[in-house]
Amino acid sequence: MKTRIIRRVALAFSIMWCLALAGVVYAQAPAAAAPEPAAAAQAPAAAPVPITDADIKNAPTPKPEEKTAGDPGGAITGNPADIPVGDMKKGLTIQDVVGAVGQNIVATNFVWTLVTGFLVMFMQAGFAIVETGLARAKNANHTMMMNFMVYGVGMLAYWLIGFAIQMGGVAPNSNLGGLAPLNHEFTMHVFGKDWGLFGTQGVMLGGHTYDVGVMVMFLFQMVFMDTALTIVTGTAAERWKYSAFVISSFIMGAFTYPLYGNWAWGGGWLQMLGSNYGLGHGYADFAGSGVVHAVGGITALAMAIIIGPRIGKFRRDGTPNAIPGHDIVIVLLGCFILAFGWFGFNPGSTLGAATNGNLRISSVAVNTMLAGMAGSFGAMYYMWMRYGKPDASMTGNGLLAGLVAITAPSGFVNPMGSVIIGLVAGVLCALSVEFVERVLKLDDVVGAISVHGTNGIWGVISVGLFADGKSNYGGAWSGVPGSVTGLFYGDAGQLVAQLIGVATLIGCVFTISFVINAVVEVIWGHRVTAKIELDGLDIPEMGALGYPEFVLKPEPAMEA
Amino acid sequence: MGFVGVIVTFAGFLLAAASVGISSSTTVRLGLVVVGIIISLVGIMGVINPAYQKNAVWKK
Repeated sequence: MKTRIIRRVALAFSIMWCLALAGVVYAQAPAAAAPEPAAAAQAPAAAPVPITDADIKNAPTPKPEEKTAGDPGGAITGNPADIPVGDMKKGLTIQDVVGAVGQNIVATNFVWTLVTGFLVMFMQAGFAIVETGLARAKNANHTMMMNFMVYGVGMLAYWLIGFAIQMGGVAPNSNLGGLAPLNHEFTMHVFGKDWGLFGTQGVMLGGHTYDVGVMVMFLFQMVFMDTALTIVTGTAAERWKYSAFVISSFIMGAFTYPLYGNWAWGGGWLQMLGSNYGLGHGYADFAGSGVVHAVGGITALAMAIIIGPRIGKFRRDGTPNAIPGHDIVIVLLGCFILAFGWFGFNPGSTLGAATNGNLRISSVAVNTMLAGMAGSFGAMYYMWMRYGKPDASMTGNGLLAGLVAITAPSGFVNPMGSVIIGLVAGVLCALSVEFVERVLKLDDVVGAISVHGTNGIWGVISVGLFADGKSNYGGAWSGVPGSVTGLFYGDAGQLVAQLIGVATLIGCVFTISFVINAVVEVIWGHRVTAKIELDGLDIPEMGALGYPEFVLKPEPAMEA
Repeated sequence: MGFVGVIVTFAGFLLAAASVGISSSTTVRLGLVVVGIIISLVGIMGVINPAYQKNAVWKK
């Protein structure tokens, strides 16, 4: 039996290594040079003919009787007559047309970014039912309420100060009309260069930041920040004092998350490692494997150490007991909701759908779904081979792990790279869960440290390996011309920049999170009493049961 | 010991961040950053976590 299992595991790893090797070989194959346009090579292009106001005025517009007859084919709806005219006496002019074009581009980008932000907001529902399903029924109300109120608590903190720290110096951004009011970054002169540390504009969205573009940016960044915060509640569920959760989440939304967010996305020192020190395009994190997921996962690790395991999670000899969640159905439903929301998370991170290379949203979306699929396969296959059953909760976590890992590279890699990244993430997730539980002896109720922390870091590193240099992003963000290119495509400097980001997550973000939560532990206390924990947190902490009509069985005696 | 672990963890980050000023060679920077990451991991998993595990609830 044992030999058979070993064989199966060996077979699984062989297949995975073959796939990974195929991907690397594929990645290293030199891309064919793009053919020169024939016309451009043979003859100079004809000089452009300037458009005059007369051309604009003579543009065909449908007659009123045509419009009143209806437009079932959609051929006449949207025509020059729909362009607002600045001066009725002059009629339609080039200025009117050009103005409409500019506003249409920004409007398209606004709508895209807002709608994808709404999708990300819906991910809170996914997180809520995943975490509640993996908790026991006696703590359902408490777990759900943490996930519900992390949205409000985090938003308040982010509106008060967090957004200003993260994005207060992010201007300019042409996708969203410039974001000119967000124009000041506090810097420190280090090693001959200015290191951006935090932004200063946008406190409570007041003053000049009362601006339509800034509002779009706030909404999108706010829902990202909330995603990071809700990761921690999953790890510390079933024993976290509700009041301590509110305090800890507020501080994370106000300071911890925005700081790293600024360094990576707000014009901070990590983003500028390329232009300042020649390290690729600087730290590149397209949609937040590092900024969102690893920050959440690393904070979850700090919390798991401080708060300690649930009573009964470990036997006296240190071996772990399985504490199953109460509803695997809603766990997997939650994973699906999260996968759906991820189509807002990653493609939305272009911050626009028009111009500036934003048509790459299709590639980002496909990469996202492929990596999620590969992650679920990786985790399911690993569990099946190792334990004989395709564990449902781990398969769900594998899906999330693949999505977490592809979040940073989704804008920079090709589909083959995405599948490899996702597959590795799925297996890595399962291995990490075992490591956290059996070696570190930490109790992570939902596996958030592994799903978001370990795979967030893997996602950051994978940019430095798999970025294929084909995207149009990167140059405009970091001040380095060209596209983000990883080690397998010839730029070792990008990998170094990514690893500096990883070192910052593990060394700096962990330290900040640990110190803050250790102080909260000393002053307030994170953990409920043993009696409350054994009875369930719903009544003592929240005042009501999650399932009042259910008969809850007494806690079974754990093996000592 | 927890405090020592925090210092060690943060020191790993400082080394990695300082690598850009210490050398202009990509290889040297890569080496320093990897060493920095390892130091931080030792701080977390080798010092802080064991310090907290001493009083773990399952040992009581």
